[in-house]
Amino acid sequence: MITAERKPLEEIIEYVRPFGKILLVGCNECVTVCSAGGRKEVGLLSSALQMAFMKEGKMLEIKEMTLERQCDPEYVEELSGHINQVDAVLSMACGCGVQEIAQRYREKPVFPAVNTKFMGASERQGVWSERCQGCGNCLLGLTGGICPVARCSKRLLNGPCGGSTKGKCEINPEIDCAWQLIWDRLKALGQEERYSDIIPAKDWRPSRDGGPRKIIREDLAS
Amino acid sequence: MNFQKKFASGEFVFLAEMNTPKGVDISEMITNARRIKDRIDGVIIPDMDNGVMRMSALGGAVLMRQQGIETIIHVYGRDRNKMAIQGDILAAHVLGIQGILVVRGEEMASGDHTDARVVDDLDEEGILRAIASLQKGIDLAGFELKGTPKFVTGCTLGPYKDDDGLERVITAAAKKVEAGAGFIVTPPVFDIDRFSILMERLKPLNIPVIPTIFLLKTVGIARYMATYEPGVFISEQTIKRIRQAPDRELECIKIAGETIHALRGIAQGVRIVTLGWEHRLPTILEYAGI
Ligand code: SF4
Ligand code: SF4
Repeated sequence: MITAERKPLEEIIEYVRPFGKILLVGCNECVTVCSAGGRKEVGLLSSALQMAFMKEGKMLEIKEMTLERQCDPEYVEELSGHINQVDAVLSMACGCGVQEIAQRYREKPVFPAVNTKFMGASERQGVWSERCQGCGNCLLGLTGGICPVARCSKRLLNGPCGGSTKGKCEINPEIDCAWQLIWDRLKALGQEERYSDIIPAKDWRPSRDGGPRKIIREDLAS
Repeated sequence: MNFQKKFASGEFVFLAEMNTPKGVDISEMITNARRIKDRIDGVIIPDMDNGVMRMSALGGAVLMRQQGIETIIHVYGRDRNKMAIQGDILAAHVLGIQGILVVRGEEMASGDHTDARVVDDLDEEGILRAIASLQKGIDLAGFELKGTPKFVTGCTLGPYKDDDGLERVITAAAKKVEAGAGFIVTPPVFDIDRFSILMERLKPLNIPVIPTIFLLKTVGIARYMATYEPGVFISEQTIKRIRQAPDRELECIKIAGETIHALRGIAQGVRIVTLGWEHRLPTILEYAGI
């Protein structure tokens, strides 16, 4: 999933300060799963904003909505009946959702209420960690299903660096050493010999380095 | 000659681009540089121009300094992060390099190492601000430097296709000037009248304007540029002139020389770009009357 974290309230307040009435839009997908911008968080942020402005003696009218998927034009269309009644939109979706709104409603200012972080997975309740950088040419088949691009601090394709202690990364003891995980996993699979295979320097073209990316499926494109 | 002093006094500055070799054989570069050494005010050394991996600008510039030639190096953010850029800038000063031209790196996709990773840590303004900060003795992390570098720093006017585009690149240029650029290099110039209009538009920037003289080489290149770079305005007449000439190469050289000559008194100098034809620089200068 795409993970996100809510922005500091003070930053959000500055975005919406000039407006009298805003639409606060959440998303039912990734940001709901990582508890950053679903229906519940929309409600919480709405109350927090209203309280903050009330303290200043200012009224902010907030209309709350949560779309099924904010990165999908079909669902963003649902805002069309409400958009004219507000001065601005505050989005709790990831950057994709915010941009979808900006593209569809060109004359309405839209602001992000969350910081989009990474593509990751839930480790346990309340903890998410990075798993993939969308490099466009997946190496997981060579590394036992553990990604060195996203998970090794030095992005070593031929690790380890030798600095890990007790399975933790030398750069950040909070995270597991990706190459320890790769080794453990290859061993579990009985593929230790794979470890000595040299992974060649990566071709970064399929990644963002080749420019902003787009997928066109001729069989589906209309 | 000293291009720094000339910039300051408003004299016309002759700058020629010199590419570094792809490899370590520097003989050609040195020979070409020696030939023009006393006729120009400085050389500009591009860094991996057009995204082609070659000897770094810093290395090339040191070679030019060894020949007693003043140098300006290209700096851009595609291949280096803010650490490497600052480090190289400090090195450049110590190695006697007088000028920096902050440019936009060609897309990786159009170079010869298309699979390389793009850095883009600092954009042009970011680099200009970094240079300004280093010159004040502070690095980008706020730490004090032991000894401060000093440069003549320039920027480029981005390419444009129409009036709208021109408006945008001028706005961008104003930002670069604010960030510290002290001169500006324009896209290639072939039409003096149009350039005079551009000069008027650039006047508010209040810095020396250096038009680029681009050696066309062939009818094909002229035709290509006329089609794909409408902002440079190569007229049909120019293309015809090259096509009908008995010696087309020489005709291109003459055009470059004549353009330089015509720009004296209009601009504050020229940057002559020959893209690998640096051996023809002496003839270009001859036709320019230098
Ligand atoms: S190799 Fe690339 S695509 Fe595969 S998980 Fe890592 S970053 Fe993602
Ligand atoms: S300790 Fe492990 S994860 Fe950290 S940099 Fe070294 S190899 Fe990579």
